[in-house]
Amino acid sequence: MPFRLEIALKPALTDAEGNKIRQRAKAYFGLELASVRTIQVITMDAALSADQLRIVQEDLFTNPVTQQSSFQPLAQDFDWLIWVGFRPGVRDNPGATAMEAIEDLLGRPFSPAEAVYTSRQFCIKAPGLNHADVDRIAGELLANDIIQQWRIISRQEWNATEGIGFIMPKVLLSHTPTVRTIPIHSDVALKQVSDERNLALNPNDIPTIRQYFLRPEVQAARAALGLKGPTDIELEYISQARSDHCNHNTFRGKFYYQEQPGGHVEVVDNLFKTCIEAPTLAVKARKPWVVSVLWDNAGAARFDADYYYVVTGETHNSPSNMEAYGGAITGIVGVYRDPLGTGKGAKLVMGSYGFCVGPRDYKGVLKPRLHPRRLLDGVIEGVKDGGNKSGIPTTFGQVLFDPGYMGKCLVFVTAVGIMPARIQGEPSELKKTSPGELILMCGGRVGKDGIHGVTASSESFSAHTPAGHVQIGDPYTQKKMHDFLLEARDEGLIRFVTDNGGGGLSSSVGESARFSGGCRVDLEKVPLKYEGLDQWEIWVSESQERMTVAVAPGDLERFMALSRKHAVESTVIGEYTDSGKLHIRYNGKTCAHVDMDLLESGFPQWKFTAEWRSPENRGLTEPVLAEPRNLKQLLLDILARPNICSKEWITRQYDHEVQGGSVIKPMMGVNADVPADAAVIRPVLTSETGLAFSQALLPAYSAIDAYHMTTATIDEAVRRLLAVGADLSQIGGVDNFCWPDIQFHPQKNPDGKFKAAQLVRACKALREICLAYEIPLLSGKDSMYVDGHLTGPYGETRKVSALPTMQFSVTSIVPQVEKCVSLDPKVPGDLVYVLGATRDELGASEYYEHMGYVGLHVPKVEPVRFKTLYQALQQAVEQELVASAHGVYRGGLGVHLALKVMAGELGLQVDLNRIPAEGVHRDDTLLFSESAGRFIVTIDPVHQAAFEGLFAGLPLACIGKVTDMPSLHITGRGGEVLLAVGVSELKAAWQGPFGELI
Amino acid sequence: MKKKVKALVLTGFGLNCDHETAHAFELAGAEAQRVHINALIDGSVHLADFKIMAFGGGFSWGDDHGAGVVQAVRMKTRLGDKLLSFVEAGNLVIGICNGFQTLVNLGLLPGFDDDYRTRSVALTHNDCGNFRDQWVHLRVNTASPCVFTKGLTRMDLPVRHGEGKFYAEEAVITRLLQNQQVVMQYAQAQGQPANQRFPENPNGSLHDIAGVCDATGRIFGLMPHPEAYHHPTQHPQWTRRKDAARRRGAVFGTEEGDLGLRLFENAVRYF
Repeated sequence: MPFRLEIALKPALTDAEGNKIRQRAKAYFGLELASVRTIQVITMDAALSADQLRIVQEDLFTNPVTQQSSFQPLAQDFDWLIWVGFRPGVRDNPGATAMEAIEDLLGRPFSPAEAVYTSRQFCIKAPGLNHADVDRIAGELLANDIIQQWRIISRQEWNATEGIGFIMPKVLLSHTPTVRTIPIHSDVALKQVSDERNLALNPNDIPTIRQYFLRPEVQAARAALGLKGPTDIELEYISQARSDHCNHNTFRGKFYYQEQPGGHVEVVDNLFKTCIEAPTLAVKARKPWVVSVLWDNAGAARFDADYYYVVTGETHNSPSNMEAYGGAITGIVGVYRDPLGTGKGAKLVMGSYGFCVGPRDYKGVLKPRLHPRRLLDGVIEGVKDGGNKSGIPTTFGQVLFDPGYMGKCLVFVTAVGIMPARIQGEPSELKKTSPGELILMCGGRVGKDGIHGVTASSESFSAHTPAGHVQIGDPYTQKKMHDFLLEARDEGLIRFVTDNGGGGLSSSVGESARFSGGCRVDLEKVPLKYEGLDQWEIWVSESQERMTVAVAPGDLERFMALSRKHAVESTVIGEYTDSGKLHIRYNGKTCAHVDMDLLESGFPQWKFTAEWRSPENRGLTEPVLAEPRNLKQLLLDILARPNICSKEWITRQYDHEVQGGSVIKPMMGVNADVPADAAVIRPVLTSETGLAFSQALLPAYSAIDAYHMTTATIDEAVRRLLAVGADLSQIGGVDNFCWPDIQFHPQKNPDGKFKAAQLVRACKALREICLAYEIPLLSGKDSMYVDGHLTGPYGETRKVSALPTMQFSVTSIVPQVEKCVSLDPKVPGDLVYVLGATRDELGASEYYEHMGYVGLHVPKVEPVRFKTLYQALQQAVEQELVASAHGVYRGGLGVHLALKVMAGELGLQVDLNRIPAEGVHRDDTLLFSESAGRFIVTIDPVHQAAFEGLFAGLPLACIGKVTDMPSLHITGRGGEVLLAVGVSELKAAWQGPFGELI
Repeated sequence: MKKKVKALVLTGFGLNCDHETAHAFELAGAEAQRVHINALIDGSVHLADFKIMAFGGGFSWGDDHGAGVVQAVRMKTRLGDKLLSFVEAGNLVIGICNGFQTLVNLGLLPGFDDDYRTRSVALTHNDCGNFRDQWVHLRVNTASPCVFTKGLTRMDLPVRHGEGKFYAEEAVITRLLQNQQVVMQYAQAQGQPANQRFPENPNGSLHDIAGVCDATGRIFGLMPHPEAYHHPTQHPQWTRRKDAARRRGAVFGTEEGDLGLRLFENAVRYF
């Protein structure tokens, strides 16, 4: 018999959650709610005695100071009640911890048939509300129908005795697990199965797959084990491994690239090998600090003599687009498993986020699945819970609004870990599996969730995308596993570790078994969330919070003891072998038996036609724009633009200081309210060495040329590190490409050839600039198909593609954290310098975008010239000559001088005539050009000679001074006062748009 | 040589400030050991071997059912008397953030009339409706018996929580104030009380209460994180302080009297 415990705050207490819902209903839908009170519901489907129920109620679930609770309905005095609970099979984290707590308190384990479910009731007082309004609040604010269900009950309908009744989202699958054999008598037949089963097999792969299973020696070996044609589990394995997400077929494809229509066709065979691997290996050969790249879950670089840091970046776009909270929390918690699965395991020390969404105030006619505002709310909250509950500081982040992300949003998540250079005397970055070692699965259990996530993200979003791949990450389970695995690592118990992410066991076991040369897995041993999963589902499920570990038989007992201590489930599911086969059994019967090298043999390379047309050929020109007279208002309006204005409300929701190593925080300055150029942490508390981290994202420039988008993005990321005092010679990079579909199709993707050319150009730029700045790509991922088909007002759908986007993340070392520099000017009388030349480069700038133009003159990076300047700045910081430093990024000097004024709450009096410039003859260009390679620096006048001495022959000029009147005062080229604006006015504009949000 | 004071820092089940809390104790001169909650319960580590016990920050059991609640119940059911004997033996207990939430749910705070089992105060959801990471100014009650804050008057520390609003019946608060058990209150930059003003009082705590102790001053709980200010480069304005120090010809880092580390030093010095 089930029991329903309802818990609410005592009426005298503020219901903060209810208030937030009230505020959002007003802000988002214009609905006035008098009050919202929340009731938590814990439904216990377990045979508990009256005494046990009382203990659970009083000791666990009711705070005597703040709460009331009852096994009878609590709701009263409302006009409408909304009940929201999970759909069956969706991860209910509070339900799981409630069950764990009840078991612990009562000393009574739950049987497999028993469970605890959580849900919520929202009691709304609002006399004027109708049913449709309430349904809107439920469906567009409180719940997402992909993962949740809800009921709406009016005051009249309410039964005060029964309440909401007992709604239990129990998964019941009366299904006997069955292995099916797939017919492969023709390519067409296999293609049909692929479509029916959502395998997303590439049609070009199908003949290769068939040929393999038709080979006589393969058939003979299979027959001996009772297998005929390929089983579903085998095809799922091949499909997962061959998916673009896992195999990066696009980046490994062959591109036929034309620089201009009808021009010479350049064959670029494999973008990954030529533009990522080759430059990285070349740089690695010159940089002994590059420890491990291009093969593991994350790259590793030397932090100091005793430690390595590891870094990687991921995206979680498709799931977030459908269920923002679930997608984002799964994304951040998922990327945290990558460092944990790098080498023999790294401790997580920081994370970052990047959100690209449609305009928050979108009022257009297209109907995305989630309105951008709601989507943003969800992804913010997902990363908040995922990061904060993992105990990992979220030290950096970016948010970018653009209508192109209405088709599919981007959610970037990046993770940094640290590991000792040696573990029990062995190099920490190396790992392998050997025959005889045991395969263990640790952490969460396997359910139907996350099946076909990988193949879904390899497709554009459509109405047919299976919703089942949306999951909800569980940072609590993962945190326990993280602590456990690190303790096991330090005792030398881990031979190999990797995470179960995309592709589940299929990927993790498949890839780890390549080292030993084979494996045997007994699938029935895999712990399940509920019975009734088919074998192939167990094999490819992406249920979260799981790692696959290789343990030597002699270490098993100790490993399991530690696992129990940390309350983590670990299970032996098989053994590594050198049989050359991936061999899967279920209750002793073979259900998969394929050659380990099948995936490397003979699959056709993907091919792309890439036709570039230059911006001039596409008709882009500079706009005819006379110089604005009111530059003050222009500056204020640009400061208030969504992509420039303050987003402090997001930053403050993230714990950016846990682990006690914060040096340069996300917000710096007198009032800690202006974003820092980069984050710096001390990941090893006993050391004074710092690790600097930053990121950049400049997709706007892709509208002109993705080549320059790429170089400008990397240059910005590099300058961000230099501005805080990091070492130019130890910068590592992580590239995250997010591109629209590049495969040409005359109807479905008519501009595919151009998009493919943009990708080729971006990759060439990546290679060139990484070689010039000597940046090894420590890690990187690509996510293609950033397109969506949105419903319009006439029953049509419209394809919306994102701008070609590349997020670039950088890391470097700060030899002594005390030498770090922040962006805020410190003392009146200090001198203000601009480093680097300003050019006529307003193309795709924030200024042009504000005016409704794209333009032509996109900022260009000259790495060789810039590098000399960067080295000089690094010396100046090293010699402690610099009082403040800040890069000039989006919005140009105008915006970034204003940010410095706001950070220091001191004045800057500057003269545009003195700015080092090349070919610029207008004040607006000087103020808003986004030329790369520039910084604004302030120094104590006593250091003037020493400082200027470092920059001999370089573009640098003192443009004014710091004043004690807190305002930005700019003299124009004609000698007149161009603008004078106080810090409070600047802040009102810059903090205005999102200032009310908390 | 005097033997080092041993400090136990709890870990496991979603706790997460254990490394820096242990580090702060080490800097303060203690011998710190990170101990999994289950190691205390199964007896492989003995609480009686320690002088100081720290309930640190984190999200124990995900904090899904009230911050610190499940941890408190587990400690009470599995350790119960050992915890009380530890307190009775004259040792020190500090609870930071999630640890403070655990101490009030255990009833170790406020511990009126030597009753260390009754829950009479609570830390509930921030009035602002969200988790928040920001630095706060704190005024220290110099009349409090709190061992940890001896000699301190002001301090800046970060808060990082979603459930930090100190709440109790008015009579309980009056008693806490009268007993000088209110140790720390949120304040404005110049030290005046925050007077419930956001964001100086970041969570809506009644009477701006940020930390309380028991009547002996040996059990102390606070929402702000002193372990997150054990190094001069952790203060949000440290680059300004350093710049000012250099221009004065002083050495940065030697003048930072407000480090959160002082709380740990007081604890170690107590023995």
